[in-house]
Amino acid sequence: MPDLLTNLNELSGGLFIIAAFGIVAARQMRGCMIFFIFQSFFLAASAFIMGIITSSDHLMIVGGINILTKVIFLPWLLSRLVPRKIATKREIVQVINIPTSLIIALLLTITAYFLTVPWLKAAPGADALHINVPIGLAGLLLGAYTLSVRREAVPQLLGLLSMENGAFFAGVAIAPNLPLMLELALAFDILIITFIAGILTRTVHERIGTTAVGTLSTLREEPRK
Amino acid sequence: MILLILLAIPLGAALVSVITRNDKTASTVTLLGSLFVFALSARAVLTVISSGNHSLTAIPHWVVLDSLGALILILVAFVSVTASLFSTGYMNFKKNGGTRRYHTNFNLFIFSMLLIPLIQEPNVVWISVELTTLFSVLLVGFENTHEALEAAWKYVVLTLMGAAVALLGFLVLYWAAHTAGVENYTWAGLAAGAPNMSPVLLKGAFILILVGFGAKVGLVPLHTWLPDAHSQAPTPVCALLSGVETTVILYVLLRLIPVVTAVPSIHAGTWFVVFGLISTGTAAFLLLRVSDYKRLFAFSTVEHMGIILTAAGIGGASAHLGGVLQMVGHAVTKSFCFYAAGSVLLLTGTRDISSVHGLIRKSPWAGTALLTGGLAIAGAPPFALFLSEFSIIRSGMHPGDYLAAGLLILFITIAFFAIMNHVSRMVFGTGTEKPAAAYGKLPVSVKITLIGAVIPIILFGLYIPEPLHNLIKLASAAIGG
Amino acid sequence: MGKYLLFNILQVLTVLVFSPLVIGVLNRLKEIVQSKHGPGILQPYRDLWKLFSKDEVVSEESTWIFRATPYVAFVTPLFVTLLIPVLTSYPLFWAFMADMVGAGFVLALGGFFAALAAVDAANPYGPMGASRTRMVGFLGEPIFIIVFFTVSFVADSTIPYIVQQKWVTPLSNFFEPAHILLLISFIMLILAEKGRIPVDNPSGHFELAMIEESKDLEYSGKGAALMKWGGWMKFFVLMNIFLNVLVTPWGLASTVQLSAVLLAVPLVLFKILLFIIFLVLIESSLAKLRLFRISEYMSTAFIIAVIAMLTSVFTG
Repeated sequence: MPDLLTNLNELSGGLFIIAAFGIVAARQMRGCMIFFIFQSFFLAASAFIMGIITSSDHLMIVGGINILTKVIFLPWLLSRLVPRKIATKREIVQVINIPTSLIIALLLTITAYFLTVPWLKAAPGADALHINVPIGLAGLLLGAYTLSVRREAVPQLLGLLSMENGAFFAGVAIAPNLPLMLELALAFDILIITFIAGILTRTVHERIGTTAVGTLSTLREEPRK
Repeated sequence: MILLILLAIPLGAALVSVITRNDKTASTVTLLGSLFVFALSARAVLTVISSGNHSLTAIPHWVVLDSLGALILILVAFVSVTASLFSTGYMNFKKNGGTRRYHTNFNLFIFSMLLIPLIQEPNVVWISVELTTLFSVLLVGFENTHEALEAAWKYVVLTLMGAAVALLGFLVLYWAAHTAGVENYTWAGLAAGAPNMSPVLLKGAFILILVGFGAKVGLVPLHTWLPDAHSQAPTPVCALLSGVETTVILYVLLRLIPVVTAVPSIHAGTWFVVFGLISTGTAAFLLLRVSDYKRLFAFSTVEHMGIILTAAGIGGASAHLGGVLQMVGHAVTKSFCFYAAGSVLLLTGTRDISSVHGLIRKSPWAGTALLTGGLAIAGAPPFALFLSEFSIIRSGMHPGDYLAAGLLILFITIAFFAIMNHVSRMVFGTGTEKPAAAYGKLPVSVKITLIGAVIPIILFGLYIPEPLHNLIKLASAAIGG
Repeated sequence: MGKYLLFNILQVLTVLVFSPLVIGVLNRLKEIVQSKHGPGILQPYRDLWKLFSKDEVVSEESTWIFRATPYVAFVTPLFVTLLIPVLTSYPLFWAFMADMVGAGFVLALGGFFAALAAVDAANPYGPMGASRTRMVGFLGEPIFIIVFFTVSFVADSTIPYIVQQKWVTPLSNFFEPAHILLLISFIMLILAEKGRIPVDNPSGHFELAMIEESKDLEYSGKGAALMKWGGWMKFFVLMNIFLNVLVTPWGLASTVQLSAVLLAVPLVLFKILLFIIFLVLIESSLAKLRLFRISEYMSTAFIIAVIAMLTSVFTG
C-alpha cells in the first residue's frame, strides 16, 4: 500500500511536469489554461496522496484548497475578467518555435534535477522528496521560461501561476506542516494575482488594443525619435 | 497593541476611501491616517529604543518590532506622510478622476509595507512582499497611458516571477530549519538555529531568496522593470516605490545576514558584493544616457540598492552602520527627489530632460528642489548620503575588499557626474524655452511637501537626532557586527 | 524442448491467422462509430484471397528490390514473433536470438525495404510517401531509443520476458510514473509508425496526402497481398509488444501446457480488442494533423518518454 501511494505520487509528479511542458508548448491560450488546470489538479493530487501517506489532515485540506481555488475558482475568475475575444484567440506570436522550446524546457528539467541532488543528499527524508523537490524546481523554471518566451498576457500570467505551482509542489513535500493560516493566505494571494493581472490585461486590451504585452517596448533608454 | 492599531489605520483609511462618495474625504482621511501612523510609529520606535531587550511585542512570535524593524517602520511612516500630502495636491491638479480608487490602493500599499518590518515569521513576510506588489500595480498603471500600462505589466510580471522564486527559497529555508529542529520559525529563531542547519540547504534557500527578491529590489539582471515602473507611476507613488518599497524588500534580504553568516561556507558576503557591484556599475553607466528625468532617479535607486548590498556584503560593524545609514539617507532623499521631479512634471508636462531648461528662472521652487535633490542623491558633501557612502568605502579599506571599495568609488563618481550633468542642464541650462507664463503654479500642498521632505535631508547630513542615532546603531548591530 | 518449439510455431500461426481479423474488427468498429454500412469483419481475408488469385504486374524499370520487398515485409514480423511474448510469459525456443532492441531493428528493416521499393518503382507518389515515412521514422527513432533506454533502466534488462514481469511485481509498480508515461509515449509512437490518425489517415485515398499507404501503390496481385498482410502483422506484433511487454503480462500462459497456451489465444485477442476499441475512440475523435505539425506530435511523444526516464532517474 505505501508503495502504491508513493508510485501514485511519483506519477502525479510526472504528469505535473508534463502539464508544465504543455503550458510551454500549447498553441492556443485555451490550451494553456487547460494545461494549467491539469497542473493544479496534479498538485492537489500530490497533496492528497502525501496526506494519506503521512496521515495528515492538514495536507488534505491543502489539497482541497488547491482544487477549490486553482481548478475551479481561478479559471472562472479569469474567464470573467478577460474578454472572450482574447481567451479564444489563436496565439501565433512566439519568440522561439515549439520544438526548440520543448528541448530547452527539457534541459531546464534536467538542470533542476542536478541542482536539487545536493539538497536531497543534505536532508534525507521521505521518498516523496526525491520526486517533489526536483519536479517542483523544474516547474518553477518552466514557468519562468514560459513567462519569457510568451508574448501574450494570459499565457504570461499562466506561466507566473505555474511557477508558484512549482514552488508549492516542492512545498508539499518539504514543508508539509506550514500553518494552515499561511496556506489560506497563499491561496488568497493567488486569487489576488489573477484578479489584478486580469484587470490589467483588460485595461491593456482596451487602451492599447493588443494583449501581446511582450511586444510593448516604448520604454527604453535610447532617445525617442 | 500599539502595533496592531498602527496596522489597522491604513486598512481603515482604505475602507473609508472605498465607501465614501467624496474625493476630499478620501484624501483627508489618507493624510490624517498617515499622520497617525507616523505618530504611533515614532512612539513605538521610542519604546523599542528604551526597552530592555530592544523590542516591542504585540503577538509573540508573529508581530514583534525590533530595532531593525523599527528603523524601517519609521522610514515607511515618514515617507507615507509626505507622499499622502503630495497626493492631495497632485490629485487636485490632475483632475482625471479615480481619486478614491487611488487612495484605496494607496492605503493598502502603505499597509503592506508597514506589515513587513513588523512580521517575524518569514513566510508571512513573503506574503506581505507579494502584497506590496499587488497593491502597487494598479497605482503604477494609474495614469492609464500606454507607457504606464506597459510599465505596470512589466512590474507585475517580473516582480511576481521573482516572488515565486523567493517562495521556493522560503520553503527550502523552512525545510532547512525543520530538519535542524528549529522550534521558533522566526527571524530570531532562524538566526539562533542557523549553525545546526544543513549548509547546502541554507545556501540554496539564500540564493533563491536573493535572486527572487533581488528582482523586486532592482538588482541588475532583473532590474528592467524598475525604471519603467518607478518613472511611470504617479509622483507620490514613485516616491513610495523608489524611496521605501525597495528599502523594505532590501530589509528582508538584510534579515538573512545573521542566518547566513552563521555558516561561513555559503560565502554570503561575496554574493552580496558581486550582486551589489554589478547593480551599482550598470546603473551608473545607464545613468549617463537616460533621457527622462524620472528614470534618472529610478536608475539612481538601482545604484543605491547596489551600494547598500555591497556594504552588507563587505560586512563588519562599520560597513553595516554605513549600510543602514545609506538606507535612511536613500529613503528620505529619493522620496524628495521624486517630489521635486514631480513638481517639474506638473509644471512642464514633459519627462524629457532635453526639453527642460533654465528651471531656476522659471520656477524657483521646482528649480531649487531639483538641484537640492540632485546634489543630495548624488552624494554631495553636506548631505546624509555623503556620510554613509564615505563610511561604506572607508570600511572597505582593508585587505580583501580593496577591489570592491575601489570599484564602488569609481561607480559612485560616474553616477555623481551623470546625475549632476543632467540636473544642472535642466536647472541652469538655456535653450528654446517656453515663456514663464506657460508654466502652471505649484499647489500649496506640493510646496509644503517639498519643505517637509527637505528637512531631514539637510538635517541628517549635519546632525542626526539622538534617538535616531541610537536606533541606527541598534539596527546595524542587529544585522551583525 | 519440443513443446517450446511447438508453442513458438503456434505463436507464429496466431499472428499469421489473426492479424487480418484484427484489422477487420478495427475497420468494422470504426464504421459503427461513424454510422456507416461497411464490409464485415472478414473482409481482409477476402481481400487477401482476391489479391493472391490475381496476376502481378511489375514495372520493367524496377530492380530486384521491388520484387524482394514483399517477402521481406512479410517475413520480418514473423521473425519478430519468434522473439517476443505473444502467447506465453516465458521465453520460447527461438527467443534467445535477440532482445527488444534487436526486434526493433528487424521491424525497421521491413520499413526500410518498403521505402526503398517505393523509390525503386519510380512512381511519383511512391518516393513522396517514402520520404514522409522516413521523416516520421527519423522523428520516431529517438523516442524508440529513449523508451528502450528507460525500460532497460527501470527493469535492468531489455529482454521482453523480464521487462513484462517488472511492471506487476509488486502490483504497485504498475503505477510507476515511468511505466504510465512510457505507455502514453509508446501508443503515440505506434500511431505514428503505423500511419494512423492523427499522423496519417489509413483509409484516405488521396495520394498527395498519403504517408504510409502510398508506398504500396505500385504493387498488385501476390506482391500487394504480401505487403498488406505483412503490414497487418507488423501492426499485430507492435500491439503485442505494447500490450504484453509494456502494459502487463496478464492473459499470457505461464505454464508449459498446451491447454494453457491455447487458452491464451482468446485472452490475448480480447486484450487486443480492448486496445482496438481505445484506438477507434482516438481515431474517431481526432483529425489528421497537417504534415508540419507531425514534428510537434512526435516531440510531444519524445518529451513524455524523456520525462518517464527522468522520473525514474529522480526516484531511482
